[in-house]
Amino acid sequence: MQDHAAAISHSGDLGRVLARRERRFAAALLAPAFVALLATTTFPLLFLIGTSTFRMDLAMPFADGFVGLENYRTLLADDRFWSSLLISLVYTASTVVLQVALGLALALLVMDMKRGQGWFRVIAILPVVLSPAVVGMIWRTFMLAPEFGIVDYLAINAGLGSKNWLGDPTLAMVSVIIIHTWQWTPFAFMVLLASLASLPEDIYEAARLDRASAWQRFRRITLPLLRPAIVMVVIMRTMVALTAFAAIFTVTGGGPGTATEILNLYAYRKSFTELSIGYGSALAVALLVVTILISGVLFALRRAK
Amino acid sequence: MSGRGQVRFEDIVKMHGEFAALKGVTFDIEPGEFFALLGPSGSGKSTTLRILAGLDAPSAGRVFIDGQDITAADARDRDIAMVFQSYALYPHMTVYENIAFPLEMAKMPKAEIVPAVQEAARKVAIEHLLQRKPGQLSGGQQQRCALARAIVRKARLFLLDEPLSNLDAKLRLETRTELKKLQRSLGVTAVYVTHDQEEAMTLADRMAVFMAGEIQQIGRPADVFARPNSIDVAAFIGSPPMNLIPARYRGGYVEIAGHRLETSLKEAGERDVVVGIRPGAVRIVTDGIPAVVDLVEDLGDTAILDLDCSGISIRARVSDGNVPREGAALSITARAADIHVFDATTRRRL
Repeated sequence: MQDHAAAISHSGDLGRVLARRERRFAAALLAPAFVALLATTTFPLLFLIGTSTFRMDLAMPFADGFVGLENYRTLLADDRFWSSLLISLVYTASTVVLQVALGLALALLVMDMKRGQGWFRVIAILPVVLSPAVVGMIWRTFMLAPEFGIVDYLAINAGLGSKNWLGDPTLAMVSVIIIHTWQWTPFAFMVLLASLASLPEDIYEAARLDRASAWQRFRRITLPLLRPAIVMVVIMRTMVALTAFAAIFTVTGGGPGTATEILNLYAYRKSFTELSIGYGSALAVALLVVTILISGVLFALRRAK
Repeated sequence: MSGRGQVRFEDIVKMHGEFAALKGVTFDIEPGEFFALLGPSGSGKSTTLRILAGLDAPSAGRVFIDGQDITAADARDRDIAMVFQSYALYPHMTVYENIAFPLEMAKMPKAEIVPAVQEAARKVAIEHLLQRKPGQLSGGQQQRCALARAIVRKARLFLLDEPLSNLDAKLRLETRTELKKLQRSLGVTAVYVTHDQEEAMTLADRMAVFMAGEIQQIGRPADVFARPNSIDVAAFIGSPPMNLIPARYRGGYVEIAGHRLETSLKEAGERDVVVGIRPGAVRIVTDGIPAVVDLVEDLGDTAILDLDCSGISIRARVSDGNVPREGAALSITARAADIHVFDATTRRRL
């Protein structure tokens, strides 16, 4: 009996030792990635938040110093901040809606393709693998350049006349939205196509026998079943669109004037053109807060059902 | 209800590229009948059902329902309800919403949908599960939900594609009897696809036996069992399957293992045949074909004997009263009426 008890306590000890060893090994495996993450994300973030509480003006270094929340007070009263935030929201909302709508339409179309589905997927994925900066350059030169760009050429032939695509404030905004949509719709398309392909065929047959029309099958069956995938795409694309930078920077640089100046670009211009690094940091923190709030809402919506 | 749900299949052919899934299938189903399509996997029975439902189009031939040519009609316009093998429940809808779906599509007023759904759910005893999602149901409950969705609409034709194959053995037996009662009480025409001959035998008023894309035999289950018209049907119907023994026919008699057995076939001449004897028709006698018991499978109330008759193996079913031991020597025979004779080359019944 005693032996038995001893054996149990012994096996308990052994279990603890093994568990400790396992934990140590796991920690050792985790450490490099964890340290790298701390160094490249957490530390810069904290540094950014710290900087935002200083006046740090490279043009007037003599005035530098700790100002507490002064930058944020300025920011709340800054019309250009509010206008860039609005542009960011318009840009994000329109690109995400367009991506999901077009991506879903393409996915539904391709699902019904009997042949060439593979080729279509390969071609569709190409824009995603391009760097946004390259995409911006291509659109600025090949597509939107007056007279010579493909889009302008088509507009002239369609009788609309040559347009100053990147010089007109409204057209410039439309252009950057189209560029972002063009590049990232394939992502939504691929995710939704995969999700569509995983839906069982027989429930559609059941719905046909239940006398549902094509539209009713889409509304009542496809959409609800795709909902998780759609919400995921919306969350991922929203976070990226809010922090978009390279394509707009290369195409319009935020212009004309501030017509396409999203919050990210405003923070960049403030920091590196006007060299007002403290205030630029405050703008970047504001963008961070906005992004966290919006994704928080989206994740809550995702959990809601 | 009479006169509704009459089906006619006329020379239906279905090609998948070079492969003929159906090679000219013709049959009629009477209103109110429980009609089974029986056959092994790949014999074309499910294809037949899908063509009837309008989910697949035939390559040739015509389909009529109630005298109306519906070959080109969409599944939506055929007024047919179906229970799928996989049940095909809408996973994002509750049981209630699943059952209500066909009624909503038919634009039935909400006030009428609620009692109709409850009535259908009550008939299959799932009225306590209406708020659950299909993922929260057991296999048997899902199957009932699919049944309720099919009967709620009072369609003129009720199709069932192996509806019991995903249930465990006990539940299958229970559901089988309920299904039959349900069909009787609704008085609706039912077409039932199965590979399980026992299901077809117990459920169907009439059945069509499919083999390799063709109908081998149509008839009442008892008739098909009693007089299979080919070797393939004989081998497929009955459990354990019929003993099929190559033999020589001579003027009313067949010769097995050197012994003559009288047949009900009275035809002059001599030819090679295949003799079919159901295990239950094998009788143990004092003077007959000598046999040695190789193996005894005791099923409780009956036992199946594997017999060796000088190289020919024959299975016999005996009641538990007098089960011989393994290794025992005995002799067997069969009544003339129980001996089926088939042509060895055409494989048809003689």
